[in-house]
Amino acid sequence: MKIAVCVKRVPDTESRIKIAGDGKSIDEAGVKFVLNPYDEFAVEAALQLKEQHGGEVVVVALGTDASQETVRTALAMGADRGVLLKSNASSLDSLGAARLLAAELEAGEYDLLLFGKLAIDDYNHAVGPMVATLLNLPCVSSIAHLEISGASGTAEREIEGGVEVVEFSLPAVLTTDKGLNEPRYPALRGIMMAKKKPLEVKEVTVEPGGLEIIELSVPAERTGGRIVGEGPDAVPALIEALRNEAKVI
Amino acid sequence: MIPAKAQPPLPRDKLILSEPPGDERIEMDVLFVGGGPAGLAGAIELSGLVKAANEAGDGPGQISIGVLEKAGSLGEHCLSGAVVNPRPFRTLFPDLDDSDFPFQQPVTREAVYFLTPKRAIRVPTPPPMRNEGNYVASICEIVRWLGERAQAMGVDVFPGFPASALLVNGNRVIGVRTAPSGLDRDGNPMSNHMPAADVVAKVTALAEGTRGMLSQAFFEWQQIPSANPQIYALAVKELWETKRPVDAVIHTLGWPLPGGAFGGSFFYPLEDRVAAVGLVVGLDHPYRSLDVHVLLQRMKTHPLFAQYLQGGEMTEWGAKTIPEGGFYAVPQRRHGDGVVVLGDSAGFVDVPSLKGIHYAMESGIAAARAIFTALTANDTSAHMLAAYDRSIDASYVMKDLYRRRNMRLAFKDGLVMGGIKAGLMTITGGRFPGGKISMVSDAAVARSSDGAVPFTPDGTLTFSKVDAVFKSGNATRDTIPSHLITGGDVPGELAAYYASVCPAGVYEVVDGKLRVNPPNCVDCKATDVVGPRWTPREGGSGPAYKRM
Amino acid sequence: MGAVLVVLEQRDGMLKRVSLEALAAGRVVADAEGSEVHALLMGPPGVSTEALGRHGADKVLAAATPDLALYQPDAFATIAANQVSTGNYDIIVLGATAMGRDLAPRIAAKLGAPLAPDVTSLTANDELVVTRPVYSGKAVFTLRVVKRPCVISVRPNVFSPTDAAKPGAVEGISADGVVAARATTVKVKEPEKAVLDVAEASIVVSGGRGLKGPENFHLIEELAEVLGGAPGASRAVVDAGWRPHSEQVGQTGKTVSPSLYVAVGISGAIQHLAGMRTSKVIVAINKDKDAPIFKLADYGIVGDLFEIVPRLIAELQKIRGN
Repeated sequence: MKIAVCVKRVPDTESRIKIAGDGKSIDEAGVKFVLNPYDEFAVEAALQLKEQHGGEVVVVALGTDASQETVRTALAMGADRGVLLKSNASSLDSLGAARLLAAELEAGEYDLLLFGKLAIDDYNHAVGPMVATLLNLPCVSSIAHLEISGASGTAEREIEGGVEVVEFSLPAVLTTDKGLNEPRYPALRGIMMAKKKPLEVKEVTVEPGGLEIIELSVPAERTGGRIVGEGPDAVPALIEALRNEAKVI
Repeated sequence: MIPAKAQPPLPRDKLILSEPPGDERIEMDVLFVGGGPAGLAGAIELSGLVKAANEAGDGPGQISIGVLEKAGSLGEHCLSGAVVNPRPFRTLFPDLDDSDFPFQQPVTREAVYFLTPKRAIRVPTPPPMRNEGNYVASICEIVRWLGERAQAMGVDVFPGFPASALLVNGNRVIGVRTAPSGLDRDGNPMSNHMPAADVVAKVTALAEGTRGMLSQAFFEWQQIPSANPQIYALAVKELWETKRPVDAVIHTLGWPLPGGAFGGSFFYPLEDRVAAVGLVVGLDHPYRSLDVHVLLQRMKTHPLFAQYLQGGEMTEWGAKTIPEGGFYAVPQRRHGDGVVVLGDSAGFVDVPSLKGIHYAMESGIAAARAIFTALTANDTSAHMLAAYDRSIDASYVMKDLYRRRNMRLAFKDGLVMGGIKAGLMTITGGRFPGGKISMVSDAAVARSSDGAVPFTPDGTLTFSKVDAVFKSGNATRDTIPSHLITGGDVPGELAAYYASVCPAGVYEVVDGKLRVNPPNCVDCKATDVVGPRWTPREGGSGPAYKRM
Repeated sequence: MGAVLVVLEQRDGMLKRVSLEALAAGRVVADAEGSEVHALLMGPPGVSTEALGRHGADKVLAAATPDLALYQPDAFATIAANQVSTGNYDIIVLGATAMGRDLAPRIAAKLGAPLAPDVTSLTANDELVVTRPVYSGKAVFTLRVVKRPCVISVRPNVFSPTDAAKPGAVEGISADGVVAARATTVKVKEPEKAVLDVAEASIVVSGGRGLKGPENFHLIEELAEVLGGAPGASRAVVDAGWRPHSEQVGQTGKTVSPSLYVAVGISGAIQHLAGMRTSKVIVAINKDKDAPIFKLADYGIVGDLFEIVPRLIAELQKIRGN
């Protein structure tokens, strides 16, 4: 089984976000970058499938040169080789990213293309299904359960108040959600071996998309609300506020 | 109450293992344990020496150099003031200019104040504290920068891998065992469990930082004494985006410290509107309830600090101990067969000048040179590595420490007497009063008075310990097994003492009993000095300092 | 200007509320640009479309066949993209639900159109400008749509259904030949009620040390149940072993953003606040009026939780009974 896992370098969720001088991007000074956590589920799924079925796991990233480190992290977890589509600019345009990745993946004869369901920087939820559409492959997104048998598989994805069960044929695109597995830690030996694994760097050009950034801003801090009252006698006022003002119950 | 009476012993049987390394062992030539200034400077110097010798045709060939670091990323467990003496940077990088180093700004103005509750009285800057030619810097940034240099020179840096035990064969250190990951609260492996790995090396350089566990175990195992026991201070530090610029390096003495405690504050500008504020207090004080975190919170309400901080934002918080014993607390031997001990782990800190980073780096450089010679001679025995001790003993590191050997120790009698004695020591170049002021370990000091001051944080200028731990970036998995050894039944009074010592709220008294919250731990090691023992835990646990 | 196509969502033959929210967002664009809103319904026969005209649909396009009862990604994407290609549409709007998040990028890729997902506000005067939260809600992008057609998904519970009455006449469209797919949704399983996870619940009721002991957590469970939510816990009580770690809300536990978060006996350490501050509405019940949680809460009651919570449960049960 030949599996590609697309990964992205993103700021750690714990990072404090500061807006850069241009007002359109984040100030990267002091920001720690990590392998996108949802992509870790994809890497783990690929490694487990390889352990069961044999084959090869190829990690593909799109990003600046610094993304090499992100690819190495996935290699340290156990992937076989890496490809970095190296761009000078990062872009929030998901379709542009999908086109570049699709062009790389098209000729690879992969049985599975795995993505995290979203990247925790842009929250686009988009690149996996877009790549599938561009390559005309079946796709199940946000999966939390997966079974592959022969040339087909069954995946489950959580929806509001239920779980969709989706059957699909290979080759296919899957995007992974929390709950699918528990990603492994890279072992010391894995990290040492990762340094020697092949990592091919290919230059690509990111085109501007159809959305133009006016600004990136930090949302206003939540300001406190009001004390509706003291003691149990305030309960009716609270319920009234929740029903008619906030409309949440 | 004497804390030492209830302190569990160092778990030496867990820290020194004389079993053979596992079959899956990883082999290296030289292993630095700890990716701080000492370990990274050593790794950089060693790789430079190897490269130069190989190019000249008389080198030892390919030498694998590894650095194990317990933090998830380099620098995340490093905390210092810091005003840095650039000397070892110039030694390590002779081709670079000071402006290439990861410093924020040179010290141009400095001031020392004596604080009363409402006032700040300017006092002359004691000569050892003068910082002309030094730079304000963040140790996190220094370490990340050194890490990049080291990796560019071919050093393998492994963040996220704490060394949990020394592997030994007879009297020889042959490597370390890393801490396992992915254990649940009861110590059972989870699905992502990663077992411990053995790393063997011809030379293991212990650069664990303050109160290093393997270093302590090594000195104890080899029965290596020091003239005085090591003593420690606890520093609690915050990083602030200030309301207005802080334009000088400021130190303070006095309030809010009680008279029996030795310590002071620092207030360093990193950028126009970014400053570090911290309070350092010796752990040899006589109080049961002295709480450095709370003292720092109270100190910030003083007009001297509040005028800058009020209306600003606290962006980071952290804590760390500092070895303060100086010259007489440095172990007589910092090497053995296949092993050297560097930096804070060896006690190379000078309290009067409030510095340790440059000594740590210098010790790394000296060790690298001795290791290089040993590797070239294919003999990494104690005999060859003794060159490291000789080199440090002859260097400015030990000369500085010797000149100010009694200065910190003088303060065990209180601030006023200590100040007078320290002044005389400065004037006489350390000749007065001569000899050695004897010290006991911090844990052996009786806590005879209470010293509690009630305090309620306001959440904007002053913070609770829980909020502080959050600002340390600590996101330790809550389900890891406890890494702290409390030892037996802890009576309420002792539990309350631990709760006041620990700046991170790891220890609490609930219904008169000790409750331990291990995930809060920021690896400052304060209670390891006077109470419950700290042991290495899953890699990447603890704080995630960014600019401390 | 081309029209706005709003892709509706139904479950079990019932339109979801988010469909009306998407219609309202579409209406904003159409009204500014003098165009129409067409609502595209893909689902089984018999879905009631009666509300659509009332809430702003100029026209309803219905592809109704039993094969579309469940969300079938390939078919839905093809039908929607075909409709855009054959009609004259500038903007496509969906709800950013599990379906919308899957379908929107497929439509965008088929059309070669930009995608603005999870939009939280939209203005359409001289130009179409949207905002969307990024970096875990720590920053917000303000974006200008410079290429059309453009696909937009709107975050649920942000836009309110509009009362703009429009004809809403229903027109059938063909769904033939597009259902054959290599990925087929075969069924929707009901989630087991017992596993309603604190991270996914739309209402969370969390308890802290104020509960005084594990024996009092039945109050939290009962309040969660009557609200149809999940119980949560602060780190302090999880560390104390009163509650399982799976319920912990906070920086080192689970990050939640339910529509309603009720904090009972939780003072509000930053590490807890970090895990729930993106909740839409926050209610705090605490005896300490200075507790930090009140600085964040939309509604607070100061007092003894052991008196307040039982009363709250009783009042809510009364409402439920009606």
